Amino acid sequence: MDRTPLKRVLKVINVPLLLVALALIVYGVVMVSSATATMGAHGAMVKRQLLGVLIGLVPLAIAAAVDYQTLTHWVGPLAVVNALLIISPRIPGLGDKANGATSWLQFAGHRLFQPSEPAKLILIVVMAAVISQFKGRIETSRDVGRVLAYLGPPLLLILLQPDLGTGMVFVAITMGMLLVGGLKPKWFLVFAIVGVVLVGVVLKAGVLQEYQMNRLLVFVDPSRDPAGAGYNLAQSKIAIGSGGITGKGLGSGTQSNLNFLPERHTDFIFAVLGEELGFMGAVLLLGLYLGLLVAALEVAASSRDLFGALIVAGFISMWTFQILVNVGMTVGIMPITGIPLPFMSFGSSFMVTNLAGIGMLLSVWSRRYGA
Amino acid sequence: MTTFRQELKSRFAALGIIVVLVLGVLLLRLWTMQVLQGKTFSAQAEDNHIRELSIPAPRGRILDRRGRVIVDNRAVLAVTVDPSDETIREIIARTQPKAEEPMTPAQVQAKLGAFSKIVGVPVDEILHRVRVSKLEALRPRVVALDVPMSVVSYLAEHESRFPYASVDVVAVRDYPLGALAAHVIGYTGEISESQLADPKMSGYQLGDIVGKAGAEAEFEAVLQGDKGYRRIQVDALGRPKGVLEQRDPIPGRDIRLSIDIDVQRETEKALAQALQDAHRQHFGKARAGAAVAVDVTTGEVVAMASAPTFDPSQFVGGISAKDWKRLNDKSSEYPLNNRAIMAAYPPASTFKVVTGLAGLQSGLINQGFSWDCRGVWTEMGKEWKKYCWLRSGHGSLGFTGAISNSCDSYFYEVGYKLYKAPGEKLQAFARSIGLGKKSGIDLPGEVQGRVPDKAWKKQFNADYPEWQTWLPGDTVNMAIGQGDMLVSPLQLVNVYAAVANGGKVLQPHVLLQVVGAKGQAAKKAETTVIARPRISQDNLSLMHTALERVTEDGTGRAAFRNFDLRVAGKTGTAQVAGKDDFAWFAGYAPADQPKYAVVVVVEQGGHGGSVAGPAGRSIFASLFGLKTEHVQATDASR
Repeated sequence: MDRTPLKRVLKVINVPLLLVALALIVYGVVMVSSATATMGAHGAMVKRQLLGVLIGLVPLAIAAAVDYQTLTHWVGPLAVVNALLIISPRIPGLGDKANGATSWLQFAGHRLFQPSEPAKLILIVVMAAVISQFKGRIETSRDVGRVLAYLGPPLLLILLQPDLGTGMVFVAITMGMLLVGGLKPKWFLVFAIVGVVLVGVVLKAGVLQEYQMNRLLVFVDPSRDPAGAGYNLAQSKIAIGSGGITGKGLGSGTQSNLNFLPERHTDFIFAVLGEELGFMGAVLLLGLYLGLLVAALEVAASSRDLFGALIVAGFISMWTFQILVNVGMTVGIMPITGIPLPFMSFGSSFMVTNLAGIGMLLSVWSRRYGA
Repeated sequence: MTTFRQELKSRFAALGIIVVLVLGVLLLRLWTMQVLQGKTFSAQAEDNHIRELSIPAPRGRILDRRGRVIVDNRAVLAVTVDPSDETIREIIARTQPKAEEPMTPAQVQAKLGAFSKIVGVPVDEILHRVRVSKLEALRPRVVALDVPMSVVSYLAEHESRFPYASVDVVAVRDYPLGALAAHVIGYTGEISESQLADPKMSGYQLGDIVGKAGAEAEFEAVLQGDKGYRRIQVDALGRPKGVLEQRDPIPGRDIRLSIDIDVQRETEKALAQALQDAHRQHFGKARAGAAVAVDVTTGEVVAMASAPTFDPSQFVGGISAKDWKRLNDKSSEYPLNNRAIMAAYPPASTFKVVTGLAGLQSGLINQGFSWDCRGVWTEMGKEWKKYCWLRSGHGSLGFTGAISNSCDSYFYEVGYKLYKAPGEKLQAFARSIGLGKKSGIDLPGEVQGRVPDKAWKKQFNADYPEWQTWLPGDTVNMAIGQGDMLVSPLQLVNVYAAVANGGKVLQPHVLLQVVGAKGQAAKKAETTVIARPRISQDNLSLMHTALERVTEDGTGRAAFRNFDLRVAGKTGTAQVAGKDDFAWFAGYAPADQPKYAVVVVVEQGGHGGSVAGPAGRSIFASLFGLKTEHVQATDASR
């Protein structure tokens, strides 16, 4: 009886992971719809978000169907493609800059996608292949140097865009993968020290753009510049706090509908959720995230090889970091950075990347018993 | 390989712990914000998107006893200045006494000069109006009222030049009769910070217009009405998105006063005429006075005038600094004071009515008591002799003669008898007829006057032991209304009203009724007896006869010669240290069946018979609808 088609499908497909992902996507579309309700382009924006989901199903299916192990043969070309992707917005005729930091790839005046999103995915694959070569033991400085040689170029390029947010995501992804990949604990300490020193140098040297500096200063002292950078934070906190336990009701957020919340369908989508659905809605979302990440951990733990486990660890790190920074900034415990909330924020590039990630997780899951 | 598998598992566990920690921290933060501090944030969210605008309630009108409008409302175009505007804020900050970078008047002129010229208000006045009441920084300030349309359209066309200015329609008090009855109606103004702190004024906000004096202040609660409000939802740019809730204002109630505007007008005219008469009689310092007419059967005040007077319309839209200074200047004789109730004067010979009745009631004298006036009275000894105003002497006078001729010697003797009798009978009687305490009239600021006695003198001279003893001369002086005796014009008219109506001291009042929403009388004033002095009918009719003789062949005969109304009354000429004499007249009419009592006083006006008496005659004439002709009396009697 255990050869029924259903049992076979269940063996191949991680149903809890898919269900949680589906729930998150639906939740996200509902919130985007509510956040854009009083905007002129409400209908078009909801359609675009749904289109992103549909487009994302293609890489999801391909990634799930293809054996992820074949990717190990493509590390070199992938690293090059990634570098090209990252600098593509800088190429005349191809690039388009928006909001100071968000970079777009465009063709003939049409925005295609934000290259920084698939760049995260490619970075995960490249780093997984590099780190897995050490068989779970990264101890010597030579080993660390080889790993950093693959992180360094894309990180430097993304920072030069300048896209500090994605750069931080790159670092977080790599750190999570190094944890699973067996980096000796003392190296994390070294990284931490180097990181603090670097931040100090960057702040002193004035490398940051003025708006980035402002965001950081406002994070330290929210009363600073209440009409400018501090305004977003204050309005976001008011929105979430005023949601209370049960929220004001979907579509009834005054902070959201009356334009007090900036970027409410993208970076501050969580503030809309917090205002309209309250603590209950927030608990539901964090619960779904927990479900997603636990399901992903299970996939990682059952991977037949280190490469697969590292890929999954990369996505877990990426999602966890982006949840922390995005939700954290809306509640005032993280500085404001343009990092979107997985499956929730409006934007198809990130949605497609995330769905591709789900596809890769499924690929790892379905091949857990070896081929 | 198993050990590696296990080690890998512990690494996943570490990753899982990080995941749980991240989600846990976020959850904790959300718990504090949404569950613990939800109310605070909710209030902030409401502040964000809800604006509450109050809708002022139309203030009740003030009508005369026949329903004629004394105080009305009217809508006017007003130019307002927003004190939160950047330019204005800077000017205010830099013209403070200790400003860090003070602005010179020329710089202020450069910024506001053009605007000042257009609205026709001096720059200083604009700043004064914007600066007052620092607590409510956002409310636009009225700087000019009743601006012509040309100014309105100019400001509209040049909006960018004057971003702080806007034009509003505001309801203001209107005075169709001008300054008539100014002291009775009072005036309105912005609520002061001390008024706001008064628990009786709860529910008021800064910027509210409230009664500041007179009936406007006394009946504030009735006139004010209930403000309405409109809660408006606004978006992040402050654009209105809709009305969430609205409550219409409940208009204030009209009140009907007992004042008759015809009589009031004649009373004010008579008082002004009395001042002129005084000047013609070479009492050039006469500038102030008061006149009151009351209905002796009800206590209703039919007219009440005080000189000098003021124009309540000066207070509309906020009084200018210049006008306010002028009204409170020492040399102005304080026009805002209602002397009819706020001033206390020695009553002089008008008080002989009280002394006479006190003597009669105590049995110290009777109808037949007479005194031979030689022009000087020496009963307290040669060294304490006192003169009658008529130095040649009145000869032998009975009670009525002593009243009608206002003989001082006679009343010195009565006073001396009252002094010698136990129990301070003069003071007791004076108090029993309403002197020495407030009448309780429904107007703010009434004084209580003074009935001097042993206890008072001791306390008054607490620091001067040698002045503390009550002497015979004190009662003797008091008997002719001098010494330390003080009455307000209202108290005195109430004494004469009590004599006129058969001995009842009535509660004087100016409110006749509160007009209900449908025009009905929501609240009616009642006639209240506040005191019943013991006066026998015989003594009352003796007093009537004596007072009637005053206008027939006594000190009032010149003023009331050929008058078509029998008036009973008394003149008085008060001596005030360092000033010219104050002229008094008090009386009632018709003498046989009294209806109205009148009092006139002119500060430094000279003789009662020739200055106050003719004014009293004019007031009676208007009360009874007689031809008002001004008589010129040249009587130097008292």
